[in-house]
Amino acid sequence: DSWGIFTFLCAALCNLPALPALNCSEELGAGQSIQQTYDLTRYLEHQLRTLAGTYLNYLGPPFNEPDFNPPRLARAERVPSATVDLDLWRGLTDNARLAANYRAYSRLLCYLRVLDGQVGTAELRHRLAHFCASLQGLVLSIGGVMSSLGYPLPAGPAAPPAPPGAPAAPNDFLKKMDDFWLLKELQTWLWRSAKDFNRLKKKVPPAVVTLRLEARGF
Amino acid sequence: QFERVGADVTMKCGSMDWDAAVTWTVNGTDIDESHLNGSYLILKNVGLSQSGQYSCYEGSSWHLKYQTYLRVGTPPKEPVLMCRSNNYPKGFYCSWHLPTPTYIPNTFNISVIHGTKDMVCEKDAVPKNRCHIRYLQLFSTVKYKVTLTVTNALGKNFTTLTFDEFAIVKPDPPESVVAKPVPNNPRRLEVSWQNPSSWPDPESFPLKFFLRYRPLILDQWQHVELSDGTSHTITDAYAGKEYIIQVAAKDNDIGTWSDWSVAVHATPWTEEPKHLTTEAQITETTSASTSSFMAPPTTKICDKGAMVGSGAVAVCWTAGLVVAAYSVLFI
Repeated sequence: DSWGIFTFLCAALCNLPALPALNCSEELGAGQSIQQTYDLTRYLEHQLRTLAGTYLNYLGPPFNEPDFNPPRLARAERVPSATVDLDLWRGLTDNARLAANYRAYSRLLCYLRVLDGQVGTAELRHRLAHFCASLQGLVLSIGGVMSSLGYPLPAGPAAPPAPPGAPAAPNDFLKKMDDFWLLKELQTWLWRSAKDFNRLKKKVPPAVVTLRLEARGF
Repeated sequence: QFERVGADVTMKCGSMDWDAAVTWTVNGTDIDESHLNGSYLILKNVGLSQSGQYSCYEGSSWHLKYQTYLRVGTPPKEPVLMCRSNNYPKGFYCSWHLPTPTYIPNTFNISVIHGTKDMVCEKDAVPKNRCHIRYLQLFSTVKYKVTLTVTNALGKNFTTLTFDEFAIVKPDPPESVVAKPVPNNPRRLEVSWQNPSSWPDPESFPLKFFLRYRPLILDQWQHVELSDGTSHTITDAYAGKEYIIQVAAKDNDIGTWSDWSVAVHATPWTEEPKHLTTEAQITETTSASTSSFMAPPTTKICDKGAMVGSGAVAVCWTAGLVVAAYSVLFI
C-alpha cells in the first residue's frame, strides 16, 4: 500500500544522517551510486511523463494544450528553478552540484505532497503517491552519493512538509498555474539531473572510494 | 517597378498626353501598337517573361520620355522555418526558405523571444538564410518563440515556431565511419566512428549511437543501439557478402536522432580461394610425395570433422575436392 511505503520512507529519511556510518554505501562505490542515481532520474522522467499527462488533463484546458506557453508569474519563483547560467553550471564543484540537486528535489517533494492532499480523483492520488515515493528514493540516493564522497548534507526540509511559505493562490486559475509550473520545474530538473550526473560520473574516479577504504583499514 | 503575376499593367509615358505619338520598347525591341491605348502601354495578365526594361520615346524626335524596369513576381508565401541545436549546449541555429520563388528580391527578418526577453539571432554570412543564437542559460523552463517575417515589394508573410530548449536538440551525423573486415573471421565486421565535430562537449553531454547494416543484396536493415563507445563489431554478417553500414547519433537523454552518416561499404574476410591450386596439385601429387600436398584451410561452414571419415558426405564443393584429393592419394 502506498501509505505503507510513505511511512517506511519517512522513517528512512529520518535516519538519513546516520547513513555515513554504514558500510554498504561506501562498498558500492561512489561511481556506482552515481550511476544508480542517474538511472533513477531517467526512470522518474519517464514516470513524470505519464503523471503530467494525467494531471494536466485533470486541470483541463488550457493547461493540457501542447502549445500552452504562459508567462512566468512572480509567485511561481518559489519553486526551485533548474535554469542556470551555462558557465556557472560548468564551474560547479561536485559538492555544489549535488547539493543543488538535493535541495531542489527535497523542496519539490514537499510541494508535490501538498498537491497529493488536494487532488480529486483516486487514480491521480495513486499516481502521485507512487511518484512521491520514487522521488523520495531519488533524494535518498543523492544523499547517499554525497555521504560516500564525504560531503555534508544540506540542511533541508527533512521535517514534515509545511505549507508553502507564500500565501495560497487567491483563485482557482492561479492555483492551477502553480501546479503547472511545479510540474514543469520538476520535468526540467529531471532533465538537468541527467546531465549533472553524467558530469559527475566522469569526474568522480573510482580511486576516490578505494582510498577511503584503505584509510579505514589502517 | 514591381507587379504581380497575372495583373494588368498600364504604363504612362511620363508627362506625355494621352493622344501623343510615342513608341514603346522593351529591352530595346519595339512594341507592337496593338498593346497601346493612345500613348499608354497596356500589358494584360503579365507573366514572368514580361520583366524587362520598358522605355517610351517621343514619336518623331526619339526623345526618351519615360523608362522603368518592370519586375514581375509574386508576394511571398508562408516561409518554411526550421530551428535546431546541433551544438548543444552552446546554442542553436534557425534556417529558412520560401516554398516557391517570388522572382523578386525578398528581405527576411527574424525575431527570437525567450519569455520576456528579446534575443538577437546573428545572421550567418554563409549560407545567407541562416542565423545562430548562443544560449545564455541552460535548462530553461520557458519556451523560445521564433518569428520569421518575409517581405517584398508585393506583400509580406510570416511563420512562428515555439519550442523547448531540449526539443530541438539534433546532433550532426557521426563522422569518419570506417568498417573493416576482421582477419580469420568470415562473419565479422569491425565498425568505428567519431563524434560529430560540431558537438562541443561529449564528456558532459554524451551521445548514444544507432548502427544499421545490411548486405547490398537485401533490403532489410539490421539495427543495433549503442549507449556508449564509438565502435562495434558486427558478428552475424553473411560470409562473403558486401555490406552497407550507417551510423546515427543522439544526445543520451534529450532531442532527436541525427540523420544517417555517409554510408560505408565492407565485405567480411574470406579465406584465400586455394581450391584453384588444389586442382593443379592433384595431378602432381600422384607421382610426388604426400607431404607436398597442402589441404586448404577449412571454413567454419565446412567443418574439418565432417571430412575425417572417408565415408563423410561433402558439405560443400571445396570439401568435395579435398575428399577427391585424398581418395586419389590413397588409391
